[in-house]
Amino acid sequence: MSLVHRLAFGVKHMLELDIAAHNLVTYPDDTFIVSYPQSGTDWSTPLIANLLQPERSLKPRDLERLIPAVNGHTRGFFKAMPRPRVIADQGTFNPQYTNVIYIVRDPRDVVVSTYNVACGSTRTGRPFPILDFVNGFVRESRSTVGTWGDNVTSWLATRGNTPRFLLLRYEDLFFETVRELGKVARFLGIHVSSHRLADAVNWSSSGDPKTAQEKHKRKNGPRVSPAAPGLWRSKLPEAAVTEIELAWAPLMAKLGYNLSIPQVVESGAVDAAF
Amino acid sequence: MISELKYVLDQVTGRSLGERYFTAFPDDTFLVSYPRSGNTWTRFLIGNLVQPNESITFLNIEKVIPDTSALSMRYLEHVPRPRILKSHEYFDPRYKKVIYIVRDPRDVVLSHYNWQRKYRVIEDQYPLEPYVSRFIAGNVDTGWGSWAEHVLSWLATRHNSADFLLLRYEAMLAEPLRELEKVANLLGISATSEALATAVARSSADNMRKMEKTQDGEWVTTKGRRKDIPFVGKAKHGGWQSLLSERSVEEMESAWGPLMKTLGYELTRVSSPALQAPFIDLGNWRPRLNHSNL
Repeated sequence: MSLVHRLAFGVKHMLELDIAAHNLVTYPDDTFIVSYPQSGTDWSTPLIANLLQPERSLKPRDLERLIPAVNGHTRGFFKAMPRPRVIADQGTFNPQYTNVIYIVRDPRDVVVSTYNVACGSTRTGRPFPILDFVNGFVRESRSTVGTWGDNVTSWLATRGNTPRFLLLRYEDLFFETVRELGKVARFLGIHVSSHRLADAVNWSSSGDPKTAQEKHKRKNGPRVSPAAPGLWRSKLPEAAVTEIELAWAPLMAKLGYNLSIPQVVESGAVDAAF
Repeated sequence: MISELKYVLDQVTGRSLGERYFTAFPDDTFLVSYPRSGNTWTRFLIGNLVQPNESITFLNIEKVIPDTSALSMRYLEHVPRPRILKSHEYFDPRYKKVIYIVRDPRDVVLSHYNWQRKYRVIEDQYPLEPYVSRFIAGNVDTGWGSWAEHVLSWLATRHNSADFLLLRYEAMLAEPLRELEKVANLLGISATSEALATAVARSSADNMRKMEKTQDGEWVTTKGRRKDIPFVGKAKHGGWQSLLSERSVEEMESAWGPLMKTLGYELTRVSSPALQAPFIDLGNWRPRLNHSNL
């Protein structure tokens, strides 16, 4: 980091205008919604935000106010945020986080989503070779979030048995939205009727998602519709599925993700590590 | 305000401590443990192994195996590669090659208690039982989580990796040559038995205690700290049996029994209630640790 950058950081820090990230001051009544990147939080976070603001419909700026990302806002922002706070993060285990809602998604769908984003961001618009991409996804640990396996394991191993940890599967949120959102409400200590829960998920769970999204966009600004679980079946070549399943079979099995490649099941990979 | 200013000045001048935010390289090796688990002794052992021409002291240890939580980001950046770095951090996905030291938490808590008295984090008369409760809750002002969180975060994520070596402090005390040889193998060093023996002799607890007496005023970790409580501990295991109350032992074993058993630490309770299994099974470490030497 150059001297100019360091000086700029110093000024920002004094004014509390630096991004909170690892300098976030946490409180025992904070709740963190943690998930690996591309685990469906663009859709699930507004759902949860609806619980926090039942009196009126959600606008994009409300989302940033209700469930801000730890890497997206300044220290001053978080300092001024009313408590108890709900904050989003994607990092591996952090002992400072007392209350954690962890959202996990089938890694085969995570890689499809990550691949689509990566291809969309290339200048040429040309897609990466999918097998190379999956190989990197499985083996290359990203600096703060790790691999999918690192991220999930670090949280489940340390907090999986503790009362202030709620594990949600994206797939359950998709298919049983009201039920799963009820778990979130209970975890957050929000007393909410089943009618209100249904209201909170109404826009995403009824009718044609595209219509619902368009309707919502007109009324409340842009909204993301959820991707159906299992897209990987039509998008990933068998070799890519095998690589993912060989890497994380025991963890995937633990989380209830059915393994599809017989050689993974037959190899005993599921039993070897657990 | 003063601490904020100091933080900014440290950032601007590059003197901020490494902690979790220094630049890690793919060829780094990390020596990781929860505090008070034998990390400093292991640093001396490894330092004396990788640098046989000059005995390791408290005056040169930071050049050979620098401490990421005591030295600046700028300093760490200029350490010649490949680096061996000391760390007390919980799981960090940037660490590729890791030597992890684990120690019986019933002994760790006692050493931790003395360490925090030395650093005046707690008063001398602070009662031990409530301290043990705080230690179990991970509430002892370190920022590194609880002992179990720390151990679980590393073991669960890295247990299948060929670049992860788990050392037990107790096994190192019993057979330091054999355990140091495991480290040499991980580092790709072909050490003779004479070289291993020399490293162990140079790193003896007696030797380290003597050095601490004359060098603690210059070592970054002990500089300016009280001298009546030594940094180098007793270098023994099992002290908890006479120093911890039955209640404290019970509390710790109730909280961490399954993990302790996985690591080969025998529980004292004869009729223990059913212990909750870890959410993620950590595999069978006993054959790998070969703890028959305890």
